[in-house]
Amino acid sequence: MSARVYLVDDHRLFLAGVRAELSEEFTIVGSGYDVDTAIEEIRGFDPDVVLVDVHMPDGGGIAVVEGVLGTNPDVKFLALSVSDQAEDVIAMIRAGARGYVTKTIEPADLANAVRRIHAGDAVFSPRLAGFVLDAFAGAMPAEVDPELDQLTAREKDVLRLIARGFAYKQVARKLNISIKTVETHVSSVLRKLQLSNRHELARWASKRRIV
Amino acid sequence: MAGGLADTLGVSDAFVRAAFITLSTVWGLGLLVYLGLWLMELDRIEDRVVEPVLPHQAYGLAIGFAGLMLLLGSVGWWPSNALVLTVGALAFGTAALTDRNMPGPLAALVDPSVDRPGRLRMLIGVGLLIGGLAVFSANVGPIYEIGPVLLAVALTGVGILVAFGPWVTRLARDLGTERRERIRQEERAEMAAHLHDSVLQTLALIQRSDDPLRMSMLARHQESELRDWLYGNLPLDGVDLLSTALKDAAKRIEADHQVPIDVVVVGDHTLDDSTRALLGAASEAMVNAAKHSGAERVSLYFEADDDELVVYVTDQGKGFDSGEVAGDRQGISRSIKARVQRAGGVAAVDSQLGEGTEVTLRLPVVAS
Repeated sequence: MSARVYLVDDHRLFLAGVRAELSEEFTIVGSGYDVDTAIEEIRGFDPDVVLVDVHMPDGGGIAVVEGVLGTNPDVKFLALSVSDQAEDVIAMIRAGARGYVTKTIEPADLANAVRRIHAGDAVFSPRLAGFVLDAFAGAMPAEVDPELDQLTAREKDVLRLIARGFAYKQVARKLNISIKTVETHVSSVLRKLQLSNRHELARWASKRRIV
Repeated sequence: MAGGLADTLGVSDAFVRAAFITLSTVWGLGLLVYLGLWLMELDRIEDRVVEPVLPHQAYGLAIGFAGLMLLLGSVGWWPSNALVLTVGALAFGTAALTDRNMPGPLAALVDPSVDRPGRLRMLIGVGLLIGGLAVFSANVGPIYEIGPVLLAVALTGVGILVAFGPWVTRLARDLGTERRERIRQEERAEMAAHLHDSVLQTLALIQRSDDPLRMSMLARHQESELRDWLYGNLPLDGVDLLSTALKDAAKRIEADHQVPIDVVVVGDHTLDDSTRALLGAASEAMVNAAKHSGAERVSLYFEADDDELVVYVTDQGKGFDSGEVAGDRQGISRSIKARVQRAGGVAAVDSQLGEGTEVTLRLPVVAS
């Protein structure tokens, strides 16, 4: 069954474009132009995947993600934004989004990302992979939970290949692992990104303006 | 009415009013002139471009007015020194203090940003007011009555303060708001100018273009330019960074060859002779990929840690068989290798037919 998708963007022209691109493959259950309407409608429709813009009045995408996940924890969010600033990317992921792509993404890649999010995977753009590598680089703080505050060598390998522009399939072949394993690594990185207490993460994101 | 004449003369209407009031003490002469001008409907002319008056012109007008008064006095058209001097001083003093082009008197007192002429004008205004009151009191009675006179002056002052205090503070506040508004407008004008030079031009180009590839390249170029302008690339003061240089190079090559280049950077390093060699080699690799690979986009990944700098230039284009390709492609790959090797690093070109090409450049970090 194709995924039921809800769209949130205060930019109507862009919303119409995305709707046209995705409506062939997915069921677009609705779309919202503002935070409050979006939260209310998403709670009602309970869609599989929500595409959410980051910068909107009244709290933006973060408010939508946080507002919905409290009542409907199974809704999966893909952040879609013109901004590729580290602060925005990291903040959206930490709020609970399972992926982050910029609005310049090709339509086919966007459809692919929605499919992947629907399947329960995480979607990392090359840039997001670079952010994560940068954020987790450097010396470890004294009190560190290796389970959450450190990337494994294999996870770093996967992220580097994504950052170099390779698709998951190519990453799998280059590392001689299955696509499923690549997805597991990426999901694990996503979890670390969301749960890590690594204090550098916040500091890094605000320090790093734009990359 | 006074505004119309003020515009014609190019001086502040507050002073024109003061002049009329002073002139009116001479048997209502000012009032007559005012009425005459009003009948000529001088104030109807409003769309005139008013050129700001030069200081010496203003002095000239002031001297001319004083001369006119002296002339009136010498031909006997003169009520009394006390009346003309008192009213004149009070009128011009008030004008100096309430001139619309000036910050309010209270604002001038507390606002350090008020320029020196502004302060000077305020002092003159206060001086004229006090002088006017002094002339008035000197003509009213002998010196022993100075007490009641001072009391009267003080009462008048308090009265004025009570009556006009709120107005004066509001004026000061309005001026503050006005100044903020002006700053905002200047910022808006600057932004409009920038958007006009960049974004609007690009949008116009896009509308005139019927080639989708060119449109998307124009949009992409504009996007990155706008991003730089909005968020700034924040280079460290006086230090050139390798990441910034790589991004600039990618932007340039992207524009030259109409192929998007995605740049991802992890860590950074300053730009020196050996990293400049890395930059040069990376640029050549990007040009190579953009020109020959046929790929829709090229990726550049740069990672710096404490020991090593690594650059990958990756494309998913047609690739080549390194054994068979001759000519400039091999030449370029050789020159890339030679450059990096001279700087103490290594370069590898990995390509397979139909699989794309990846150039890897590694440079050890030398502790400086």
